Amino acid sequence: MITVTINGKQIKLEKPVSILEAAKMTGIKIPTLCHHKSLEAYGGCRLCLVEIEKMPRLQASCTQYVTDGMVVWTETGRVVEARKAMLEFLLINHALDCPYCDKAGECDLQDLVMKYGPAAGRFTEGKRKHPESYDDPIIVRNMERCISCTRCVRMCSKVQGASAISMVNRTSKTFVEPFSGGRYNCEYCGNCINVCPVGAIMSRLHKHTYRPWFIEKTVDTVCSFCGVGCSVTAQIRGNSIVRIIPESEKGLNRGLLCNRGRFGYDYISNSGRLKSPMIRKNGSLQETTWSEAFMYIAQKIKEIKEKNGGAAIAGVASGRCTNEDNYVFQKFMRLVVGSNNIDSIAGFAYAPARKFFEKIFGQGVTANPIQGISRSDGIFVIGGDPTAINPVLGLQIRAASQKDIPVATVGYAPGLKGFAANRLIPKPSTEAALLAALLTEMLKRKPLPAEKTPFEEIIGKIQPVSLNEAESACGIASGEISACVDSLSGMTNPALVIGRDIIQRSEGQANLLLLAALAQALNGRIYLSSELPNEQGLIDMGCLPDMLPGGRPVAVDSFRKRYGEFFNAEVPSAQGLSLMEMVEGAHSGNIKALYVMGENIAFNIPDNKFVKDALSRLELLVVQDIFTTETTRFAHVVLPAASWAEREGSYTNLEGRMQHLKKAIDSVAGLEDWKIIAEVSKVLGVDMNYRDSRDILAEIAKVSPLHKGVTYEDMDSGECMWPYKGEPLRHDLNIVGIDMPDMKALLKKPEKDKVYIGVDKVLFHSASLSRNSFALNSIYSEPHAKIGKNLAAKLSVASGDHISISTGAGAIELAAVIDSDMPDNIVLVPNNFEGRGAFRVMGWKMNAAFKAPALDGMEAVLKKLERVSAEVSE
Amino acid sequence: MLSEKEKNEIETELKQYEHKRAACVEALKIMQHSRGWVSDDGIHDLAGILGMTPDELDGVATFYSLIFRKPVGRHVILICNTISCWVMGYNQVLRSLNERLGIGLGDTSADGRFTLLPVPCLGACDQAPAMMIDNELYGDLTPEKMDEILGKYSWERD
Ligand code: SF4
Ligand code: SF4
Ligand code: SF4
Ligand code: FES
Ligand code: FES
Repeated sequence: MITVTINGKQIKLEKPVSILEAAKMTGIKIPTLCHHKSLEAYGGCRLCLVEIEKMPRLQASCTQYVTDGMVVWTETGRVVEARKAMLEFLLINHALDCPYCDKAGECDLQDLVMKYGPAAGRFTEGKRKHPESYDDPIIVRNMERCISCTRCVRMCSKVQGASAISMVNRTSKTFVEPFSGGRYNCEYCGNCINVCPVGAIMSRLHKHTYRPWFIEKTVDTVCSFCGVGCSVTAQIRGNSIVRIIPESEKGLNRGLLCNRGRFGYDYISNSGRLKSPMIRKNGSLQETTWSEAFMYIAQKIKEIKEKNGGAAIAGVASGRCTNEDNYVFQKFMRLVVGSNNIDSIAGFAYAPARKFFEKIFGQGVTANPIQGISRSDGIFVIGGDPTAINPVLGLQIRAASQKDIPVATVGYAPGLKGFAANRLIPKPSTEAALLAALLTEMLKRKPLPAEKTPFEEIIGKIQPVSLNEAESACGIASGEISACVDSLSGMTNPALVIGRDIIQRSEGQANLLLLAALAQALNGRIYLSSELPNEQGLIDMGCLPDMLPGGRPVAVDSFRKRYGEFFNAEVPSAQGLSLMEMVEGAHSGNIKALYVMGENIAFNIPDNKFVKDALSRLELLVVQDIFTTETTRFAHVVLPAASWAEREGSYTNLEGRMQHLKKAIDSVAGLEDWKIIAEVSKVLGVDMNYRDSRDILAEIAKVSPLHKGVTYEDMDSGECMWPYKGEPLRHDLNIVGIDMPDMKALLKKPEKDKVYIGVDKVLFHSASLSRNSFALNSIYSEPHAKIGKNLAAKLSVASGDHISISTGAGAIELAAVIDSDMPDNIVLVPNNFEGRGAFRVMGWKMNAAFKAPALDGMEAVLKKLERVSAEVSE
Repeated sequence: MLSEKEKNEIETELKQYEHKRAACVEALKIMQHSRGWVSDDGIHDLAGILGMTPDELDGVATFYSLIFRKPVGRHVILICNTISCWVMGYNQVLRSLNERLGIGLGDTSADGRFTLLPVPCLGACDQAPAMMIDNELYGDLTPEKMDEILGKYSWERD
């Protein structure tokens, strides 16, 4: 026990902490500049000096730890004098242009000088000069204001792991610069902006748009971009969000955000937002009233239902909509329309993977806290680069690596280069061979127990694959594979981070089985990457063809009955169609009507042309969205929805945490998605009397066995984790219906000279929503095709040259970017930009097990273009 | 691109440390020794070997005033401008260098022979005013001694 006295107050501590922290516990605030909660103590600014009895000199309280019997004074005359002196030094070169500086009002230096002085400095020499830099699209730097606290540099290297900036030069010429000046060319997370105590690094997007004291209210909500679900605070003036910031005490992101979360929200104020309902008349979409639109939809649905039955109607839900929206949507589809045809993009990878792992390990097996990643003793990453897909989760992996926790990556994961000790990059579609070899070797070192669980029995039946066999299939030297096994076998409870790329394959199920086996052998925890903010919510709310709310299978009579009884209605028993089957159904004519809520299926599903063909054959296509999209162009009715900032509800993130999405501003034109559905339902004769999202949540809390009694207040407390207050489904230990992988087929070598196309997950974009963000477009405005250096050499292509990529499905032309890290026979194209997305030229095969598109083996022919036709000038 | 010699020397240094980055100052010195200065490309190449980002390494390189990030002349004159030397006649010494070489502090002579840089205290206050050319210290300087000293670094002798 340590007893310390600070300003006469006694405090007892279990373990030593810094004086600064101890003072904070007793409610005493010591001023700081270089210290920041997210960063390690630095001791550079000397603002936190305190007087310690029996110590002759003042000490920096951020680095000095308490000892038993220590007596500390934080505001004596000596201390105050010293702080004043430190500030006077800082002001020698500080620009002091507060009237012009956007930081004024929330500037630590300004606040401290106001408190401790000096009123005037004694240095009469001129101040240093350094022009303000506008080299960056979203960051503006004014190094005359920099006080060299190094918070930004420490943030960028130690937390963000980007190491894009550093302190260059020395003495009064020290500035924060990216290498060789110019643009930062970094991940643009803006976390450096967040920690800068003065106005030296600021957001260019917000320059001179408002002052901190203009903010009228703040709303704590959740980011709208990915499945991590970072907490954000929206600062509001009038009816617009002026800025999004993270707060260090709140949420799982603890003060960090990625570029999308911090800057990308501006799509909500894009002038292209849909403003009025529209109905197709004489071939074109024309503005109409809400009531006419509702009547039209209801009438059409009624007709089709009477003529073709409910099963001819299908619904597409959205991972960007709230739980409340999605719950109401599936209720509408099941009970009003009478169809289990309900699915979403989550059905392509996230849901099948989750279902697969749950079948083996039990419900909720992937519900693991993200913060646990940096605390695990090893990390295995496969199927996509988490630092691009789920950036703040990616930071956990980088943080772990900086603590010397071993990280192994399989596949191309550029954001973890330099962080992964084992980087295995197999040839396209040969991961299964590699995984099987890793498993075989692992089992040699840690054999299965004699007394086997049913799953271990299954593992025992997986055909072993030798290192050499794997080497010849996937092209990775056997030594490298066994080095990875060495590293894996030292882990006792690693995190396995699994991405979409490994799931959306013909051999997707084999990959998942091998990963499950590996997870068992390693005693690992599984994390599924999730590209949308509410993919997990889609599953929990029953937006799957075979699942009711609360993860209850439709096929089980008792669950179906129980659900129907709540509403005195009947849930259809026939299993519904998956999203891909719906599209096929629309193409073949079995599906007559499609109701799409917040999803751009004509763009986000591979083989755009096929999807568009299918959509054009529908008798009724209803689309609720906030923008005109490739899909709305085929719609018979388009309904403007409220954006993420304009509605209340909840999101469930990839760790199974329910979070409260709060309404920040009023909607300009659109309605909440659930409200639109409820209105249509009403016209169809089924009242859904919800006053607000609270009423819906209350119903969910009654109907879903998983969400018993869940409220927004539970979510606001911050720890509304899976399985909430409810009951997960009991795990059936007898695992049935798992096919053994056919190793012989999986060990087949890919053809040597072929080039395959894959999807590039761009850090700066998110499906087709981000193209409406001015901020994100200003960082990444043009899609590129990424190729490796050998392929580039073969085509004699340099970075920036245009190439054409053609497949059986079509061709696109893009500028090439060369990344020396990429495997040779693959070209990666993002799927974010209109008319130039990867899915325009990517076909698919149906994965029978998942009823989802498999994306492998899409051969592409690359050609260098001598000149881009569009850019020919006169 | 690093030369074989540079590579070997850096490899030898790397072996001395547990963490590669710990060898960064030595690596910079090796490069500077063989090339006279460290260019942007040089920083890139070294950063790759040291497992650092170019920016981190540049932070180190620019911190040390004796790592040159701009081209310098064949010989670098470091003239001490701190108190002892200043009291003992730094100004006269500097002026004579200015006149003889036709350059000011921070400049390189037109023939590329000398770069003149100020340095805070060479630890030779007992011989003030002092300066250093490459690794050679010259003390008790007077303008009169300059011709002889600079003569040692003429083209013919190089
Ligand atoms: S925006 Fe992020 S990556 Fe870029 S310099 Fe700042 S902290 Fe580093
Ligand atoms: S830019 Fe800001 S955070 Fe970075 S060193 Fe300067 S004052 Fe500190
Ligand atoms: S990591 Fe995901 S949730 Fe967090 S700020 Fe970025 S996009 Fe938003
Ligand atoms: S806060 Fe302690 S020295 Fe800066
Ligand atoms: S002051 Fe010149 S050598 Fe010390």
